[in-house]
Formats: sequence, structure tokens, C-alpha cells
Amino acid sequence: MSELKLPELGENITQGTVTKILVKSGDAIKKGQNILELETDKAVLEVPSSVEGIIEEVLIKSGAVVKVGQAIFKLGGGESAGTAKSDTIAPKVEEPKKIPDPQPVASVEAAQSQKPNAQPSAPGAIFEMLLPALGENIEKGTVTKILVRVGDVLKKGQNILEIETDKAVLEVPSNTEGLVKEILIKNGAAIKVGQPIFKIEGNTVSNAPASAIPAGKQETEQPLKEKTPSAASASVEKAAAPLTAIAAGPLPIRKDIPAAPSVRLLARELGIDIGQVPGSGHGGRITTDDVKAYCKMLNTARPSSAGSALVSKPLPDFNKWGSARREAMSNVRKKTAEHLSHAWNSIPHVTQFDKVDITELEKLRKSISGTNKKISVTPFIIKVVAQALKKFPQFNSSVDMATQEVIFKDYINIGLAVDTDRGLIVPVLKNVDRMSILQISDELAAMAERARTRKTTIEEMQGGCFTISNLGGIGGTSFTPIINWPEVAILGVSRGSMEPVYIDGNFTPRLMLPLSLSYDHRIVDGADGARFIRWVCEALQQPSALDVTK
Amino acid sequence: MSTSLPLVVIGAGPGGYAAAFLAADLGMEVAIIEKEPNPGGVCLYRGCIPSKAFLHAAKIISEAKHAKAFGIEYNEPKIDINKLRDWKKSVVSKLTGGLGQLARARKIKYIQGEASFINSNTLKIKKTDGSVEELSFQKAILATGSRPSVIPNLPQSPDIWDSTAALDMENIPGTLLVVGGGYIGMELGTVYHEIGSKVSVVEMTPGLLPGADRDLADVLYKHVKGLFNKIMLETKVIKMETSSNGITVTFADKEGKEFKEEYNKVLVSIGRRPNSENLGLENTKVKITPRGFVEINDQRQTADPSIFAIGDIAGDPMLAHKASHEGRVAVETIAGLKVAFEPQAIPAVVFTDPEISWCGLTEIDAARAGREVSVAKFPWAASGRALTLDRTDGLTKLIIDPKTQRILGMGIVGVGAGDMIAEGVMAIEMGAVAQDLKLSIHPHPTLSETIMETAESFFGHSTHIYRPKKMN
Repeated sequence: MSELKLPELGENITQGTVTKILVKSGDAIKKGQNILELETDKAVLEVPSSVEGIIEEVLIKSGAVVKVGQAIFKLGGGESAGTAKSDTIAPKVEEPKKIPDPQPVASVEAAQSQKPNAQPSAPGAIFEMLLPALGENIEKGTVTKILVRVGDVLKKGQNILEIETDKAVLEVPSNTEGLVKEILIKNGAAIKVGQPIFKIEGNTVSNAPASAIPAGKQETEQPLKEKTPSAASASVEKAAAPLTAIAAGPLPIRKDIPAAPSVRLLARELGIDIGQVPGSGHGGRITTDDVKAYCKMLNTARPSSAGSALVSKPLPDFNKWGSARREAMSNVRKKTAEHLSHAWNSIPHVTQFDKVDITELEKLRKSISGTNKKISVTPFIIKVVAQALKKFPQFNSSVDMATQEVIFKDYINIGLAVDTDRGLIVPVLKNVDRMSILQISDELAAMAERARTRKTTIEEMQGGCFTISNLGGIGGTSFTPIINWPEVAILGVSRGSMEPVYIDGNFTPRLMLPLSLSYDHRIVDGADGARFIRWVCEALQQPSALDVTK
Repeated sequence: MSTSLPLVVIGAGPGGYAAAFLAADLGMEVAIIEKEPNPGGVCLYRGCIPSKAFLHAAKIISEAKHAKAFGIEYNEPKIDINKLRDWKKSVVSKLTGGLGQLARARKIKYIQGEASFINSNTLKIKKTDGSVEELSFQKAILATGSRPSVIPNLPQSPDIWDSTAALDMENIPGTLLVVGGGYIGMELGTVYHEIGSKVSVVEMTPGLLPGADRDLADVLYKHVKGLFNKIMLETKVIKMETSSNGITVTFADKEGKEFKEEYNKVLVSIGRRPNSENLGLENTKVKITPRGFVEINDQRQTADPSIFAIGDIAGDPMLAHKASHEGRVAVETIAGLKVAFEPQAIPAVVFTDPEISWCGLTEIDAARAGREVSVAKFPWAASGRALTLDRTDGLTKLIIDPKTQRILGMGIVGVGAGDMIAEGVMAIEMGAVAQDLKLSIHPHPTLSETIMETAESFFGHSTHIYRPKKMN
């Protein structure tokens, strides 16, 4: 049995406050695995283990101040912590030697050996090309089309396969070059990332992107990416993309970045690519505080190690009360769970309810619906919401707490939550403000068809500004929709019903449609929330003002 | 030989000694291998320092002559070349001796000799005392510098100098041809002009100081055109032959017309080449580019993980201050720190009269990269300080990003330009915008005010220049 001591955290960092313990008694830990989250005066850091073994006892508590060299766990099995020197381990970097050997310019082998999809590069060598990473945690799919033949000469970036995943049909580009000697997969086959797909005769170094990625970056990239909302739950914002920033290997040199040398050094020490840090100063100048805020954002925005927030408390044994079974979550389910938890946890929600009299709208809708062309109420709502977003720009924004900024968008893209047999997806209608109600109606029909046939692309599920969730087809009087982060509001539509409404001294039957608007209270005040939904209701109430063709 | 030394630095120029000193300060056991008895390298022995000593002497002569213009007249100076040379030597030995003391104080093992690699972790050292020893090491820093490039097939003659011979200053030639209008040729040409030689310059390209922005180089050209005997641009040297009074040189002008002139001495200053040969690098994994530079990464590590390279051998620009900075990056990397060589601006200074300096982006760079920039200029005719020096032949300019207004580059020509460029480096490294320079109070009356006024002129309202408003 041995003790695991807090390793060196980087220059001048001698202690920190434990913000999270990522392992528990009985866990088998691996070298490089994150074991603690520590807040230092520089930033929140994840501390990787320098040894392997089984945790016998946790010697520290959340909130405690620990010093470098202090015993944090009692370990059994694996490599004795005593023999492993507490090396200078920079945050999240596993460096077995005291003296790091940054990737030498020409050493491609080293980079490749760390890369799951590495391939030999000897001239004329035949190697297996593996299915490259498809992005956004897509691990597997079904081959729907093979776009190359034996004898083809592959170029990097050329599309080689069409794969249907549970999110969308993807075209897979080649990450290598060479002559296709044999095709190892068949149409309709289920394949996994990393599985051999072709035999290639190559004479060039393949995987150029791999050698460009510092060794070790791959591991760090994954947990970060998990937080970005993926297609399943719509809108992968470009702004969220840089969240792949904390790198383990040598960072690239950034020319032309407005940051002082001391700021660039701090970023380098923290493993942050200075090119990704938004600058708050004049001319985009990046300050020390910008780097710290960015680092903190990266560390806190991440789900507490691979979505463990969802399983943080131990579950009871449900079989005690009758039979129960466990089923793996589908990818769409996992994404939805992660994305909505993140939205629910990070956005202070308020939901405002209202009812709109759509008696007149219903008349208009029926009058323009033909026998073979049915127009639903949804295009009308989308059109009115698009107008409302122009009138209330804070509803067409995103909140960046890291930089204390609000991002206002000049475009209006509205997502529509669609219930499919594989779960919830949110395709986005782009630039709806420039579409007529009839165009929106047509586009909605096409979108629904694509969703039904699993043809919805990932691009189609990105870039939303606002989401509408219409459950009216099923029923219900109101509900509290969860905002589709990084958007700031969502409109829930329930089922319309005839109600007696007191008009001019009489109760008159009117068709009333209940609406529920959830908004981000950080950026939208209560009065504005009420004004927004009132504006939408009044616009829908006076359909004569709506021109369906414009 | 049995124990392996943590760090050995090969070559003790400004890169090598800075690296070794820092390594010692960080607690590493370190050795220096160097031919000379003390650290210093080309810069201190045969480059920056001796040339600047001579240029100081030249400046005094030139200013004394110039004083006639405002009523102060001196007799022709008497030049004791032996005393001048001795003074230069004393400057060099004071500096190099001081570095030797600093090395000893840091307990650095100083091995006088020449090293070559047996493999990636062993060196063979031919010591100056004749003995040979092997040294095994964990990390090595290559800092062997560069030497003057030579023109092939020249006659063997003591009348053909390289920069080293020119700095030895054996005598003052009656006539001197400088081959190459780069900074070394222009600096040494200035020295010999002032101590009495008739100096001519021949340059292949259409202008002096290729690489510097033309508006800066033009100011220098105008000044030296009146002083030097002849400046031949777009002219090639075809042949050199020894003759009764020195060297007869055959030129070809841009039309290809050939002509001959005779000079007492010819100084060949056509550039420098890295010292990457005869080091046994073929016994390591180090890779060398076709131009002879050692390939390195951002940490100055070569393709051989145990060997780093810094300074002239590691690539352009071949400047002492770049080498020192690289030395510190290499040592800090070896010490396990996360650093990289990532300057936003490396200053360059030409110590001619007038001086030229620049840093960051030049107009030439911007044009080559197709990058849109705004250029703000301030001619020194509007500077009070320049007038009091009777040297209004100067120009300060800023290269500015038109979108963010960030300072991307600075260029200065004029007396004292070398000392002023540091402000530009600071502005660029700190990500300053034009307004920062405009709003920082600069002391009056100094030449540094021209920087502030250049920034003001970017906004269209420099105090000392009136620009009529555009009418439209």
C-alpha cells in the first residue's frame, strides 16, 4: 500500500482548494486520469494521477486546502506511488520524464503512435485505413454508400463513405492518401470508429492532421467536446467549438495575437491556446484576466467528468420492488440528457404562460389550406416569433459569462423540436424572417420528411436562435419548456380548445391556444418576457395583418 | 567521462553564453565549449562590439566636420590608427573578460576547444592545449554561429577583406570597394570613409539594405551618396584580379556593360552562412536545411531530442538579441518549463549614419502577404529636436492594422534610431493600439516625440504637421 501525493501543478503553484474529487474509494485509477479538480489562484485545474492503482482511502475532502506533496489518497495495487517521482506534471499533462521532449519537428512517428488512427508511412507500404473519427461523439454507424473503388487513388479530404448514424447521414472524408487495394466493408454493415475499412498502398505520410495535433490532445479533447450540445439537441454553436482548447503537448505559435508576452506565457503554462482566448481590451487585446476567465470557463463548463452529474447519487436496487431491467442509453438520449442538464443547470429559467385567441387565424388558415396542401398553425407562429425577435433583440442573443458579454445575432434562425422514433431532434429553419408563411410551411414539410427518413444533416441542426416546441398535437394545457442552450428563450405551444370568452357583455366561444415562454432570466427581465409573449399573442390574434405570401 | 553532464553549450556567443548563464542560474550543471579564451563570440570579438566602437569614432569625426555648418570649425583630425585599434581591443577585452568572470562566478565549466558529435549524447573535444577528450551529456545546445560568406574563385590576396579583416584595421586604404550594400558593408564603409578612405559600394539589387522598407533606406542613400565616392546599384562584380596597387575589379552594370576599376582594398560583405559543418552532426539525428541551417521546432529543439540549436545556426534573422532570447527558451524548455520562441517583433538596427531600425511588420512584408495596412509617417523636418541636432534627415513610421488600429510594425531612420526602436517592440509585444502611443506623453524635446506624433498623424492631427482636410 502506498500514498498518492499531490503532484507538482506548474510553476509557482504550491497549493489549491479541492473543488471536486473525481474518484472514490475502490476506484481503479490509471496514469493520466483526472483525479481532482483544484482551484488555485491562477485557475481551476484538473489534476491527473501520476500512478496507477486502486484507491483504498480518500484522505482529503472537497473544500480542503491541499499542498503540493501532501498525501491525497491511499493506494493499493498497481505501481507504488513511492517509486513514481512526483514529476512536474502540468495540468492535465502526463509526462513520464522530468525533462519533457516537446515534439521534435520531424518526428512524425511519436505523434502517430499516440493517434488511434495512425498508419505506417513507409514508401509503398500497404496499411489498413481505419474509419476516422466522425465528430461529436459519433462512434458507429451503418454504411449506406461506398464512394470509392479498388484501384482509386485517394486524396486527403475526398469523400469515401456515406454513413448513417443515429443523428444523420454523414459523408466521411479520407484522412489519408494512397491507392485503394481492398475494401474491407460492405454496404449496410455496421461499423465503428477505428475499424479497418480499406487496405491502402501509400507512399506519403498519412494523417497530416494527426501529426499537427500535439500528442495527447486527443484525450483532452473528448471530455470537452461532450459538453457542446450536439446535433441531437440542436445548435452546436461555433462559439462553443473552441472549447477544445486545453492542450497537453506543445501549443502552436500564434503570430499577430494582441497579448503581452507575460499573458502569452501564462496561457502556455495553463495549456491554453492563446489564439482561442477572446480579448476584452482595445483592439481585441487579451489580458491576464481574459486568460484566467477562459481557463475557468473551460474547466467549469465541462460536465463533471463525462456527464457524471447525471449519476452522481447512487441508485437503489429497483429489483427489490419487482422486476426491472437496464438498457444502454442511445446516443441521442445521452446527448439530450447532457444537453438539457447543462441548459437546466446553467440557465435561470422563468416560464411565462399566456393564451391567444386564434379563432380568426383558424379561419385564415383553413381558407388558404387546399385539399392536398394543409397548412398548420406552426408556420404562422414561426413567422410571428421571427418578427418578435426583431422587435426584442435580447431574445435573439446568447450569454457569454466568461467574457461578461452578450452576443446579439443579426440573423433569425428558428429551431423546431421534432419528435422522431429515435428521440428528440431540433432542425433549424434558417433566415425565417426572409421567408413567407407559405415558404415556411413548405420548408417545414420538407424538414419533417428529412427527419422521418433520417436525412437531417448536422448542419441543419446548428445555428438556431430560438426554439419552438409544439405539443399541441398531443394535448395539454401548458408546460415549462427547457431553453435550448446557448439560446435564451423557447416557446412551448399546447393544444388549442374552444373556451367561453367574455366579450362585449357576452360569453362567446373562441378558439384559445395556450403558449408557454421560457426565457433566460440573466438576459431577459420579467416585464420583457411578458411583453414578448403578449406581442406574439396580439400578432396572432390579428391575422389580417399577416400576409401569407410575404 | 564516466558521468553524463546535464547540459553542454557549444559556442559562447551571445546565444550560447546567455543560455549557459541562465542554466547555471536555474541550478543546472553546465559546460561551455568555445575556441576563444572568453565568452563573446563573433558579436563581441569580430562583430557588433568592435564595429560599434569604430562607428563611435567615425561619428565624432563626422560631427566635428559637420559643426562647421553652425560656426564651429576644427582642424583636420589626426588619426593614430594604432591607438584607435588598441582602444577597440580594450573595449572587446573588457567585455569578454567580464563575461569570463561571470562564467567562473557561476561555476560553469569552460572548456577551450572545438567540439564534434560522436553520437547524440557524446562529444569529442579537441582542446586548445592539444589534448582530446570525450564528454557525455544529456542535453546539448548548438550555438556555433555563422561566418562571412565568400565569393568563390577569388584570388588569394591580403587586399581582399572580409568583415573580420576590416575590423582588424591593419591600415587605412586610400580607396576601398565594399561589395554588398547590406548592413555590414554600410557600417564598415561608413567607418573607413570617416577615417579617410575613398569608399565605393557595389550592390546587385536596385537599393541599399535590401529587406528594409525603401522609404527608410532612401534617406540613408541620400546621405551617403554625398559622402561616398560612388554607389553602384544593380551592378555585379564579374572578376577580381590582383594588380600593382591592390585589386582590379571588373563590374557589369544592369545593361551588361562591363567596366574596370582599381582599389587598394576590397571588403566582401555579401552575407553570412551558418557554421553547421564539421560538427559531426551526421552522427546525430539533427537535420540541416539546404541553406545549412539546423531544423528546429518552437522550443529550439532539433530533430534529435537531446540537441537544441539557437542563434545564427538556427536560422534568420542572424541577430545577437534573437540568439540570446532563443538560448533562454531552449534552457527553460530543458528545465521543464512550458515556453516557446514566439516574439511578435524582433528589432533590427543598422548603425549607419543616419541609423535605420525597424521591428514587427514592414511594408515589404505586408505587401508580400497581401495584408492591408495603414502607414502613418512623421518626417523629422517637423521635429524640434532634429533641428537642434541639424539632422532633419529622418523619418518615423508606424504600420497599423486599419481595423483594430493595433501597431503591427515600426520603422525609423535618423540619428539615434537604434535606441528608439525598443518602444516599437514594446508596443507590438503589448498589443498597443495607435491611440496608446498617441496618448502616452513623450518627453520634449526628444526624438522619441516623433513616435507620438506619428501616432497622432494616423488620426490626422499631428501637432507639428498641418494637413489640409480632404474636401469631399
